[in-house]
Amino acid sequence: MSTVPTTCPFCACGCGFYLLANKGELVGVAPSETHPVSLGRLCARGWGAHEAALWGDRLRQPLINRHGNLETASWVEALDDVTRRFRDLIAAGKSVGVLGSPRASNEENYLAGKLARAGFQTNNVDFCFHSICRPLFAGLEDVCGDYAPSISLNDIEASETILLIEGDLAQTHPRAAFSVMKAVEAGAHLVTIGYSRTQMARLSSLHLQTTPGNEGEVIDGLLAAVLRPGGGDRTSLAIPCEGYDALLRNVEAVKITEEMRQAADWIAHATRATFLMAPTSGYGDQTRNAAAALATLAAVTGHLDRPDSGLLPLLARSNVRGACDMGVAPDRLPGHQPLCDQRAQQRLQDLWGKKLPSTRGLEAESLLQSVSGLIVLADDPSAVLPMGGRALAALGKIEFLVVLDAFVTPPSRIAHAVLPIACFAETEGTLTNMEGRVQSLQVATQPPGEARPGWQVLAELCARFDAGVSYNSTTDVLREIAQAAPRYARMEQRASDDEWGGRWVKDPDRGKFKLYATGAAALTSAERPHVLVRDGAFDWGRDPLVSFSPTLSRDSQSQQKLFPNGFVEICKQDADGLGVPVGRQVKLTSVHGNAVVPIRLRADLKPGVLLVPYAFRDHVANVLGTDSVTAVKVEQA
Amino acid sequence: MVFAIQRPGMAKWLEKLLEGGEVIAPVRGPCGDVVFSTIRSPAQVIWDFGNPLHPPKRFVLPQTDPLVTIKRNGHRHEVEPIYDDARRILFNVRSCDVKGIAFLTRMHEMEPADASYLRRANRLTVISLACTTPCPPGFCVCTDSGPFLSDGYDIQLTDVGKSYLVEVGSEKGEAAISVVPSLFRKATESELLKRKKLETAARSHFGQETCHFASAMRRISTGRVQDSLWDKMSDWCLECGGCNLICPTCYCFSVKDLRRDGTWIRCRMWDSCQYAAFTLEASGHNPREHRKERMKRRFFHKVSAQYYTRDSTVGCVGCGRCIKVCLGTTDMPAVVAAIRKGKWHE
Repeated sequence: MSTVPTTCPFCACGCGFYLLANKGELVGVAPSETHPVSLGRLCARGWGAHEAALWGDRLRQPLINRHGNLETASWVEALDDVTRRFRDLIAAGKSVGVLGSPRASNEENYLAGKLARAGFQTNNVDFCFHSICRPLFAGLEDVCGDYAPSISLNDIEASETILLIEGDLAQTHPRAAFSVMKAVEAGAHLVTIGYSRTQMARLSSLHLQTTPGNEGEVIDGLLAAVLRPGGGDRTSLAIPCEGYDALLRNVEAVKITEEMRQAADWIAHATRATFLMAPTSGYGDQTRNAAAALATLAAVTGHLDRPDSGLLPLLARSNVRGACDMGVAPDRLPGHQPLCDQRAQQRLQDLWGKKLPSTRGLEAESLLQSVSGLIVLADDPSAVLPMGGRALAALGKIEFLVVLDAFVTPPSRIAHAVLPIACFAETEGTLTNMEGRVQSLQVATQPPGEARPGWQVLAELCARFDAGVSYNSTTDVLREIAQAAPRYARMEQRASDDEWGGRWVKDPDRGKFKLYATGAAALTSAERPHVLVRDGAFDWGRDPLVSFSPTLSRDSQSQQKLFPNGFVEICKQDADGLGVPVGRQVKLTSVHGNAVVPIRLRADLKPGVLLVPYAFRDHVANVLGTDSVTAVKVEQA
Repeated sequence: MVFAIQRPGMAKWLEKLLEGGEVIAPVRGPCGDVVFSTIRSPAQVIWDFGNPLHPPKRFVLPQTDPLVTIKRNGHRHEVEPIYDDARRILFNVRSCDVKGIAFLTRMHEMEPADASYLRRANRLTVISLACTTPCPPGFCVCTDSGPFLSDGYDIQLTDVGKSYLVEVGSEKGEAAISVVPSLFRKATESELLKRKKLETAARSHFGQETCHFASAMRRISTGRVQDSLWDKMSDWCLECGGCNLICPTCYCFSVKDLRRDGTWIRCRMWDSCQYAAFTLEASGHNPREHRKERMKRRFFHKVSAQYYTRDSTVGCVGCGRCIKVCLGTTDMPAVVAAIRKGKWHE
């Protein structure tokens, strides 16, 4: 029986555990007390992490499309086919692109970016989940100049005040929820802002109820409360803030409730405070504005430049931070350097020995709609993108679709070439958690059939497109990453003494903060008095790590079986008002269109709010359009 | 009869045991954790260690446990049991874990007896190391499962200074010392006296902060725990299932078939009664839909008089692992204290 230390592949908290293998097959997971993030604890997903690799429908052999059918092929045949078709597309002047993935390692993502930029000469490189977290990152960057957090998970426990913009932390990030619980148990004030009374809201000292998408309005209220005379001590700000006067003017007219005053008081007078925000619901720029307002609140109360205080963006999937850091974005280079940064461009050109494209590429959603050739690395755009059905239809229209994955997924079924790669338990590599820890994946078992480590396949493709040097190991790739991304400098050297979670991404320089308030606007009207909100929580049910795990997939499979037409959740009062019994349908009408869906009761929603789980978003796609929150009229169907 | 073995003789004994089969002992793992692992040499064995967080129950009840292979033969299916016939020795197991394995064996002996489990358990020799210094989170004195044992082991070792006291509790234990009888001699009076003193000292290590099951049991068994208390407590659980998975006495499972080379392997897998889907029925109905109902069930099974009467013990060996592994704050002592006092976090 072997005991292999590795990093959890689920959320971006980045817990560590041991994978147990017997006779070459994974048999279980054991916790680690010495891992600095998990400290002996794991959530249900972590405890079941070995299952998908063992039970999953695995891709074992390369497949290529012959006469309309996917047939097995040798690696040489498959790679030749991919190379020829992409060369033809590029020669014909057609656009191509690459999608990286938060389910893939830093090394795989880096090579995916290199393949696009140096190999295909395009900045059409992104990852689907980016469309969910981009507004949050953008809001933080507006204020701090960077998306990097200024606090770690363990710091939360010592906080006196915690402000949580609540999606459903207990479900999405159990490890972070644990730290919040510990702080609350020790007497911290937890303030939650959200539209439902979730588990964390029930543990809070104060729950500030909002309508979906209007979290920013409450944050504005808190800002107004701390900025008005007597709101708190702001003389300790070490870092200069730009826009202070404009901010004062912006919040002048904001209405402050007694609850907001209380919460603001706790925040302003805490020595240590934590600000937590997940990529939540929001329409238009609301999420970006709310994130900017939250960062502003943290900045003006002095918590961004104080040790053990700060802001932590909560990322749903394991390597979101890594994918961003590796430059898997149409406008960013490795190290999250802007594409327009001439020095960064030049450094990369020198490193890769190739002239690189300077035109901004397309974001994942538009990329799917417009490229003729696409490489999808370890992801299912139809499960991740907000408009899943549209994404799957777009994938079906792509002239040449290549999928690199360890698991059978909807895209792998319709691809023109499928390259089977190792899953997290079968390859080396690194993941960067949301705190900025760079942690190792280790080989616990061999990949099935002819599957190869993804970094080797991508390195081979890079070489075929004249963008390669030879890499003998993931350490070689990490060495190159360290040169390409300044904040990963010397990361490969630190790998040799890699203790559990011992390596960190370099913190960005925090020059100064730019301050913002949101200036929220009302959404509902007399004609459409209800709000339909798409649950912002990532749908793990369709991620192969969950869907192929017998233990973890039960809830989501049961829901899919019981509700083939999906459902929206509604409070009892609204359902009674409409005269619609549970399980019966309602008709929802928005400016975009209408849909008929069954209802389910949910106790923690307030009247006027309907919630659609991410898994069932396609059933109300006509109503939501491109929004995640929209005003609706609700009637008996 | 009680024997003794001189300290230097231990390596020789282990070498002999290694010749006879697999020896599993706590070792210092790759990242500093103490883990149960198959050893290759006596030098790997550590003598001063905190109990591994991951219990040794997987050597009788693996997290993924293949039970039968199912093969198609024409229109019929052939079902063949899979038995794990390996002989294993668990060495330096702590008292709580010995009691844990004994508890599991009693459960699996109940009719209908579990042949797969029993085959493994019958081939397992358990050599324990008595806890002269109890571990910080442990409360084994409250569950009669430590720090020293009077039964349940095949061999119990006690470090009495220059030698180890060797108490043999079964035929398997006798067989284990018979591999090199020359190493073992009759224990001296002073060695026996030292053991007694060590046990008394170890027992006195437990302060007031232990786990008072009796009054909690009275309340649970007579339905005198307020529903609102379960409500409150269940908000402090993040449903990780860790308490069940690392519990030396938990044995709930689910079953799933694994496809391998044209056959199906039916596997039993560890499951947790704290997961919503554990009792989810095909119709969509869930008799324990809310977390508080699942939590109530867990503590009823572990602490009620009804189960105590059947199992002659609480479903807990006081190892304290649930305190370390709980992703919330609802570990065994915390919940028992809340039930006893009728309040939570107040």
